[in-house]
Amino acid sequence: MTTLISIRSLKKYFPIHEGFLSKNTKTVKAVDGVSLDIDRGEILGLVGESGCGKTTLGRMSINLIKPTSGEIFFDGVDILKLDNPGLKALRPKMQIIFQDPFGSLNPRFTVERIIGEAMMVHGLAERSNLRSKVTEIMQKVGLPNSFMNRYPHEFSGGQRQRIGIARALSLHPRYLVCDEPVSALDVSIQAQIINLLQELQEKENISILFISHDLNVVKHLSHRTAVMYLGQIVETAPTKILNKNAAHPYTRALLAAKPSTNPKESSDHVPLSGDVPSPLNPPAGCHFHTRCPEASDRCKTEQPTPFQLEERHTVQCHLYN
Amino acid sequence: MPTRPPLLHIENLTTSFHTNDTVVQAVRGVNLHVNQAETLAIVGESGCGKSVTALSILRLISMPPGRFDSGQIKFNNQDLLSLSEAEMQKVRGNDISMIFQEPMTSLNPIFTIGDQIGEAIIQHQSATGAEARKQTLELLQKVLIPSPETRIDQYPHELSGGMKQRVMIAIAIACRPALLIADEPTTALDVTIQDQILSLLSSLKKDSEMSILLITHNLGIVAQFADRVNVMYSGKIVEEASVDSLFENPMHPYTRGLLNSLPKDDSESKLESISGAVPHPAFLPEGCAFHPRCKDAMPRCQQQPPLTNATKENTHKVACWLYEEGGEGL
Repeated sequence: MTTLISIRSLKKYFPIHEGFLSKNTKTVKAVDGVSLDIDRGEILGLVGESGCGKTTLGRMSINLIKPTSGEIFFDGVDILKLDNPGLKALRPKMQIIFQDPFGSLNPRFTVERIIGEAMMVHGLAERSNLRSKVTEIMQKVGLPNSFMNRYPHEFSGGQRQRIGIARALSLHPRYLVCDEPVSALDVSIQAQIINLLQELQEKENISILFISHDLNVVKHLSHRTAVMYLGQIVETAPTKILNKNAAHPYTRALLAAKPSTNPKESSDHVPLSGDVPSPLNPPAGCHFHTRCPEASDRCKTEQPTPFQLEERHTVQCHLYN
Repeated sequence: MPTRPPLLHIENLTTSFHTNDTVVQAVRGVNLHVNQAETLAIVGESGCGKSVTALSILRLISMPPGRFDSGQIKFNNQDLLSLSEAEMQKVRGNDISMIFQEPMTSLNPIFTIGDQIGEAIIQHQSATGAEARKQTLELLQKVLIPSPETRIDQYPHELSGGMKQRVMIAIAIACRPALLIADEPTTALDVTIQDQILSLLSSLKKDSEMSILLITHNLGIVAQFADRVNVMYSGKIVEEASVDSLFENPMHPYTRGLLNSLPKDDSESKLESISGAVPHPAFLPEGCAFHPRCKDAMPRCQQQPPLTNATKENTHKVACWLYEEGGEGL
């Protein structure tokens, strides 16, 4: 497998202005030095709690948000150095599916226009053959043809998410960011959408960054998983290895916190104490040390660096280094 | 516990909402009971009527458009639906209390958390301000809020989501209720915070005789936390069983579908999904509401199946024709 997306020391700091004439400026370090590779045809799961920066990272990776610093390579091209025409030519290859199927579709557009607009913009369809192209894509994602002239409010959450997927796939992307695509859906509908994503990924060999807070879904779907905490990736490993041999105390706590659906498998673990600290003022040293059951003095002052445990398994923790 | 009568007994409850052009029956003839010191879970997808059932118990449904078409809600052998509003006010927050899904919007932003917890104590126990403050501090300790002396004078916006939910729990248990209704108490929280809140609720349950009615869509929480389960679909209970029995031997095709659509630990295969979507409550299909999505539907499903015992021990009930007399099940 070869690398399609390569992210190097990516940072995004959001300034917060406070006080009279915005005198006091603080920064939220939403993403703080992330390096990550995604292979061709790979599904990389990105998990973490709310506010850890996973959405910001996902959006930056397709240049929807400009990073503060760092580099992003798409197939060897640094997309941050591209000019507008160059970026436009690349856009069809990088697409995104959003979390909220209610907010991400224009309520005044018909399904045909929602799905077809991007194809028109990028010259992949003409007015004359638009309808047949849209039909083809709708079939692919399991939407009946009769939906073509209807509006988003007429559909259920699952159907809307299918429309969102159809819109993203209409441009034949090679890289797709899925930002919590199933968390707004009911369990029985979730399974439909997960199966659909899996099928399409296999058929078209797309690389996917699958952002989720649901470890079960990530476990089922992704080949490799990255765990994020307060703007940093704390552990990356092939999904199977991560679930068996999680190294970082945070990953282990996340896995233990997930309630098992087997009533006989009762867990007697101690829940992680405290809350995620504010990204405005993250703790010194390892960001996780305030909640970590295994923290030592070193963790309070010195920030750990990524350490390779074995091939493709990297952890950022002093316990291993 | 069979010797003691159930704490809460809902019989044939129907709650509907009337608008200008439609009548929506959100709860359609529900029977359920909660025993003393028991945790009963109601599971179901959005729109199945689980929250309306909970709100009906406390009569928090605004009327109109809401209306109770039939039924009784017996709490300690007293029908809550026949009480006057003033009598009901004495039950709310005192005998039965509730925690809501959104801790962010359930607290009043202009009062300190001490005021909000103390209000319940002053209201129901005619305590003085000083007594209430003392009890409030104890409650904050009980729900494991660090440095309660400072927190008591803070406003909701100064607290994180998990902290706010702890405050909600403190308000709910302030008057030692016999029944706590928890409506998706952890849905808005992160997984590590959810874990903290569930372990807090478990320890509170152990320390008291409190019964809990837990409403959730998360089957993992049900498996770990509840004693008994009712599965709801389109306003009706379709299956009722002990937790072990339900997860070991799910009977209703809907329950089976739900359990099968969860990502499994060991599988690489496709998830099984239930085709279609939940029907709109104003346009329910004839008979069993699940039959248009059911793999095992048969002509008889055009009629509503009753909720009947499926085992000899009377611990597992299901509303499906597959298990009716002569039916072989799945």
